[in-house]
Amino acid sequence: MIVELGHFSLIIALGLSILLAVYPMWGAKVNSETLMATAKPLAFGMFLFTALSYAILTYAFVVNDFSLTYVASNSNSQLPVYYRVTAVWGGHEGSFLLWLLMSSIWTVAVAMFSRAIPKEMVSRVLSILGLISIGFYLYVLIASNPFERLLPFYPVDGRDLNPLLQDFGMIIHPPLLYMGYVGFSVAYAFAVAALISGQLDSTWARWSRPWTIAAWSFLTIGIALGSWWAYNELGWGGWWFWDPVENASFMPWLAGTALMHSLAVTEKRKLFKAWTVLLAITAFSLSLLGTFLVRSGVIVSVHSFASDPQRGLFILGLLVLVVGGSLLLFALRAPQLRSAGRYELVSREVMLVGNNILLSAATLVVLLGTLLPLIHKELGLGSISIGQPFFNQMFTYLIVPFVFLMGVGPLSRWKKQEPTALKNQLIAAFSLSILAAVLIGYAFDQLIYLAVLGVTLSVWILIFTVQEVRQRIGYTNNLAKLSELTRSHWGMVLGHVGFALVLMGITLTSNYSVQKDVRMSVNERVELAGYDFEFLGVHEANGPNYSASVGRLNVYRNGKLKSEISTEKRFYPVQRNVMTEAGIDAGLTRDLYVAIGEQFANGDWALRVYVKPFVRWIWAGAFLMAIGGMLSIADKRYRMAKRAKEASQPFGGKQIVGMSH
Amino acid sequence: MKKVAIFGLPLAFFLLAAVFLMRGLYSNPAERDSTLIGQPLPPFQLVDVMDEAIQYRNDALTGEVNLINVWGTWCQTCAVELPFLTQLKDQGVNVVGLYHELDSDPAFGVKSVDVIRTEITEMLKTLGNPYRFNMLDEGRRYSLDLGVTGAPETFLIDKSGKVRLHHIGDLNQRVWQSKFARLYSELESE
Repeated sequence: MIVELGHFSLIIALGLSILLAVYPMWGAKVNSETLMATAKPLAFGMFLFTALSYAILTYAFVVNDFSLTYVASNSNSQLPVYYRVTAVWGGHEGSFLLWLLMSSIWTVAVAMFSRAIPKEMVSRVLSILGLISIGFYLYVLIASNPFERLLPFYPVDGRDLNPLLQDFGMIIHPPLLYMGYVGFSVAYAFAVAALISGQLDSTWARWSRPWTIAAWSFLTIGIALGSWWAYNELGWGGWWFWDPVENASFMPWLAGTALMHSLAVTEKRKLFKAWTVLLAITAFSLSLLGTFLVRSGVIVSVHSFASDPQRGLFILGLLVLVVGGSLLLFALRAPQLRSAGRYELVSREVMLVGNNILLSAATLVVLLGTLLPLIHKELGLGSISIGQPFFNQMFTYLIVPFVFLMGVGPLSRWKKQEPTALKNQLIAAFSLSILAAVLIGYAFDQLIYLAVLGVTLSVWILIFTVQEVRQRIGYTNNLAKLSELTRSHWGMVLGHVGFALVLMGITLTSNYSVQKDVRMSVNERVELAGYDFEFLGVHEANGPNYSASVGRLNVYRNGKLKSEISTEKRFYPVQRNVMTEAGIDAGLTRDLYVAIGEQFANGDWALRVYVKPFVRWIWAGAFLMAIGGMLSIADKRYRMAKRAKEASQPFGGKQIVGMSH
Repeated sequence: MKKVAIFGLPLAFFLLAAVFLMRGLYSNPAERDSTLIGQPLPPFQLVDVMDEAIQYRNDALTGEVNLINVWGTWCQTCAVELPFLTQLKDQGVNVVGLYHELDSDPAFGVKSVDVIRTEITEMLKTLGNPYRFNMLDEGRRYSLDLGVTGAPETFLIDKSGKVRLHHIGDLNQRVWQSKFARLYSELESE
């Protein structure tokens, strides 16, 4: 009965989303305060009923209601309660319900935090968010309903959650990723609302900036967690595989990064207006495309299995309406846009254009690499596959000019930068970064060309970021001046430093990781990169819903015990799955990583041992980038705008625009 | 007008991509054209996986319509399709297994035949046994002849021993209905 209530509240939420799509938009058109005032309560209602529906599905999981098809296929009575709660998004139907929940959260957030923005604009934005939601509510209710019953014959127990998903990283990875995906719908809604109203001055850019940065931050953490999960759970020591599903999350991230920077230019300098609108549409479109690719089975991936073309068709239909509709609007309205500002060839504007071109090129590379095999085959040219080498090579080419601009850009002036003024900085930074790279290469006893390149780029960013901060405080040693920098400025600094750390981590771990596949008997030792791994043997252990063989190792360096590692081979009886749980000793400069394999007839065990230098920096850097994003949102000027409005000064906050990046 | 054309480019690009995505929905991403279609099965001489004294040659697969299913106990998707294959067997379809040994990594050692046999018996007992018999493809040489890229894969063999269909990926109700069922009944009535 309670489950039917969940189903019913979802239908109510659909009804509310339809009203939300119609009334505020209409109100904005006929300038009716009453109609526009419906936006907020409707958004709240949509959120409440979606949340109720979601809570009820979670409840069904917690109490093991296997009369629900979805619960029966994704849970089991032996599954620990915390995994039952996360199993809600362990399958197709539930992850779309999660999507809806996220989307209604964003909608409510926009309704709540937009007091500074004119009513007409907010009404249109909320209506557009409602319009997008209609499609997804219909999809969940018609094509992928998690509340379907298996009556009258329902199983005694469920088929269990995929063991791969029973991991801490998986608990928080999908919600964060979805927060990011769906979050771009806000920037999209702002852009489309601006196109509809015809008010394409740069104010919409200011309003949508914090939302874009928020979505981007969520997406950054989401992607980082996904990578961290793959590293922990898949047992082959990799952290990025260019799998179509990873690409699906990477494309909106790249477009979103471009959008953040382009919004800054549009807001500050009233330039690139059409381009920024297009990017806002693109970022969300790529989120939708990613969802389609992952969920429809058009592309071979470990993530998509036994999918249903009917569902794919539905999502494709949504995609065509949302993306096609907005691009049509763009084609009709964008020609009216004029960008007024003037700038010289060497200026921050042009460097940001470079940033945008390179990020768009990167997006295109990933998009083509993901879609080309499909297009190639549909043209009847046979099957091809595009894998790591292609992406790695393309990104190596793209990153060099990108990093060059990333260093110089923030330091340069708007409108016109005197190139000669930069000359000394460039020479000093270049020599210093090369020197650092060669030194690090020597520390690893081996100079690898790509490693030198990567470290040079990373140090280049760090040096220029420090220089930029020094320039801001007037090259004084008075550190008190640092507090004068705005939060959004610190946000940029952290974002760029984070990126440098990611780059450093990727470079060093890709070039200097070592691994060994060994067969070991008890008390045997093996040496790898200066570490001695001593195998202590294997004992059996039992988890809540699995049994495990736990292998233990001691790791010594120069005869001293450095760490104790245990790695597990788990057997999940319900799905008859064997999973390797890697044993990892995490460190700032290196990870020791051990995965246990099969046992041999004579009692020896197969083990795979890795020493992976600086791999943590990849995720640490990503977190730093996300923190940078959060810091930017917390900047005073976004709040000042609100206060100014409360003091009934329309468009308050304008006076501080232009203070910083 | 000219400007609209420029700003319409993203729309055109997107619509083109959508057409391909649409077509992609209705084709199997794992499908490749096999050169074997219409050709007789390459000659083979393989032992039974449970008993090396029993040998099979091409004549073991003529006179009746057969499915050759490439599988292994290590393969998760094979475990998923076993119940459906068993259902097919119960409807009178001949299913023959080609046991696909997992890559024998020298560092990890080769599994002994006894271990493989116990694993097979275990798995077929719990998930259903669709197979008339299982041939062991030692060293995976025959899989190479057949152009097998992984497991599971299924071949439809007509009464004269010719390959008529090669399916990559799991065989389920949907695949059977859309790809196999009609051809199968045609071949049956030949």
